[in-house]
Amino acid sequence: MTEWDGRFSLSSKLRLPLSAVKSLPSKWGISVLIAIGIIFPYLASDYWIDVAVFWGIYVLLGLSLNIIVGEVGLFNMGHSAFFAIGSYTTAILSERFGLSLWLLLPLSGFAAGLAGYVLAKPIIHLRGDYLLIVTIGLNEIIRITLLNNPWGLTGGPNGIIVLDQFRLFGRAVQHPIDFYYLVWVFVAITVFVLVRLQRSRIGRCWNYVREDEIAAQAMGIDTRWAKLLAFTLGAAIAGATGTIFAAKLVVISPESFTFMESVILFTIVILGGMGSIPGVILGSAAMMVLPELLRNFARYRMLFFGLAMVLMMIFRPQGLWPSRRWTTILREGESE
Amino acid sequence: MRGCRSCLVLIALSLTLVLGFGASVFGAGETGPVRIGLQAPVTGQWAYEGEMARNCVEIIADEINGKGGVLGGRKIEIVVGDDQCSPKQSALVAQRMISDKVVAVIGTYGSSVTEPAATIYEREGLLNIAYGSTAVQLTEHGWKYFFRTCFRDDRQGAFFAEFVNETLKVKKVAILHDNTTFGKGLAEAARASLEEAKKAEIVFYDVVTPGERDFTPILTRMHKADPDVLYFTGYYPEAGLIIRQMRGLGSKAVFVGGNAAINDEFVEIAGKDIAKGALMTQEPMPTDLKYAESKAFLDEYIRRHGVPPSSPWPVYAADALKAIAAAIDETGSTDSAVLADYIRNEMEGLPGVTGPIGFDEIGDRAGAIYLAYEVTEDGKFQPYQP
Repeated sequence: MTEWDGRFSLSSKLRLPLSAVKSLPSKWGISVLIAIGIIFPYLASDYWIDVAVFWGIYVLLGLSLNIIVGEVGLFNMGHSAFFAIGSYTTAILSERFGLSLWLLLPLSGFAAGLAGYVLAKPIIHLRGDYLLIVTIGLNEIIRITLLNNPWGLTGGPNGIIVLDQFRLFGRAVQHPIDFYYLVWVFVAITVFVLVRLQRSRIGRCWNYVREDEIAAQAMGIDTRWAKLLAFTLGAAIAGATGTIFAAKLVVISPESFTFMESVILFTIVILGGMGSIPGVILGSAAMMVLPELLRNFARYRMLFFGLAMVLMMIFRPQGLWPSRRWTTILREGESE
Repeated sequence: MRGCRSCLVLIALSLTLVLGFGASVFGAGETGPVRIGLQAPVTGQWAYEGEMARNCVEIIADEINGKGGVLGGRKIEIVVGDDQCSPKQSALVAQRMISDKVVAVIGTYGSSVTEPAATIYEREGLLNIAYGSTAVQLTEHGWKYFFRTCFRDDRQGAFFAEFVNETLKVKKVAILHDNTTFGKGLAEAARASLEEAKKAEIVFYDVVTPGERDFTPILTRMHKADPDVLYFTGYYPEAGLIIRQMRGLGSKAVFVGGNAAINDEFVEIAGKDIAKGALMTQEPMPTDLKYAESKAFLDEYIRRHGVPPSSPWPVYAADALKAIAAAIDETGSTDSAVLADYIRNEMEGLPGVTGPIGFDEIGDRAGAIYLAYEVTEDGKFQPYQP
């Protein structure tokens, strides 16, 4: 191996054969799922399409938190703060300057990513539950700041109304079906990028840090840098998701970014299986779709929901779809 | 193969989902029941509000059905949608109401929860009448399909100003709010009305954070301003602590709470000795309503549930249903545009549980009823007598 400065580049000399990543469904399975996904809105009512839209939004949020909690093992229970920053960036810039939402999408991602970097930098050395407590604090600080309407920007408890919509081929993305495709195309892109990342040197270093930080350090990994990168990236994806959320919900108010939301996101990652992308998709289905399926139980639905959660944790404590450790077999001639 | 098995699980899950809708899609025919939605927080933090709203609406629905229903014999069927008092859930419930093809929707409780749902109803052209959303901004959008049977915050603020000037006749007023849509709206309305009347002076105006336990720093500053009366527009947990802590600091100012502070919990948190003499401005409690309809309604409610509704809001849901049913009967239509037009322009003095029902051109309830309540020695609320 050549000299390495402890940072990572995406190009990796050691390429993993596809079959090495066992935590992903096979190719035909993915094709069937995509086909179901494409025809779904033609079979379902607007309500179920909307449920799928929110599911997609939570998949995006879950994936972003999965980078932090799942891949690197940093306990972040204040993730909705970054989601809030993204949403509010969109709402404020759209309201004041009338910027297009397509432009605001990366911009909100950038703003949240920057906030993630700045906020995480001084606390990133904290371990486990200490970090968890600080992130809870961050979440509350940001929510209360939004509530207090600093400089008349956030509209306080009333929030901000986002009048603009995504425009595509001269048509506004407004109806549930439009949002459905918008959200799930983003999910597809994000999953693709994250799978590539998972298999890259960065992904492996993250896992290394998660499994044994000291050993990782001893191997020359700049663990602080690795953690910050994960935190920033996770915050950025959550922020970009905020733009979609703002366009979908029309009103952005602090009530959408409570500590409870952070707990739900955390649960999605744990429930699905830490570090597992299909796990996040299943986990968000459990948190978003299940309560909707239980709607017929009316006032008992949260009871059944809780019961389902308990049963899931009893029978699958490692998560619905746990990520498996990679086993790479170096065949002759492949090693350096 | 393992990969395949997990994959099958995923497919099975998706199929369950796809099959799940069948149940929710059956539109009402021309002869079937008239389906009316009730969007309310049936679970979650405000579950008791949602539950009572549902009880109230059921009583009116049964009453109407007992008299032969609407449109010449069609029964009213209530479809309950639980929004947990969350904006996100509210948007989902709204979409579900539209998929369920209800004729009109009652709801919901909480202003910033109503906003996303009302936006969707407006876009889809579905009549919706809110029962517990008092923020001023809701009727300022120029929405065509949105109405409310409750009164807006600024009406209560105006009542407080009048109460201070005409009944209490004091000069120095302090106002505290908790920055919720509700508390802030009311505080600002009270301030505007007081400034307009120019009789009393506002010596202190500030914000507390809900959920906190210690308000002494802010109350010390308030005490220094030496007000005759403190108006707190937030919710009862903070109200109870605030009155306790301000008495602890030696402030003798009259405590007046807004309509979110009036709750038995307030007396429990503050303690009977301290709570005694505290005042509250609010819509009359259901038990203090003086109309013939209110009495009959309340008797029926107590007969069914043993106790009267413990908050003023649920009865407005009952009146929302009355308004919708009356509009359906008068116009002979279930088309939202026709109904909304009738409610806006022609409905007047319809006898409701909370008094005559009528609406102004932006969809707000016409008229206003408020009362000042006083905490008695044994910790009960009764209409204030100067």
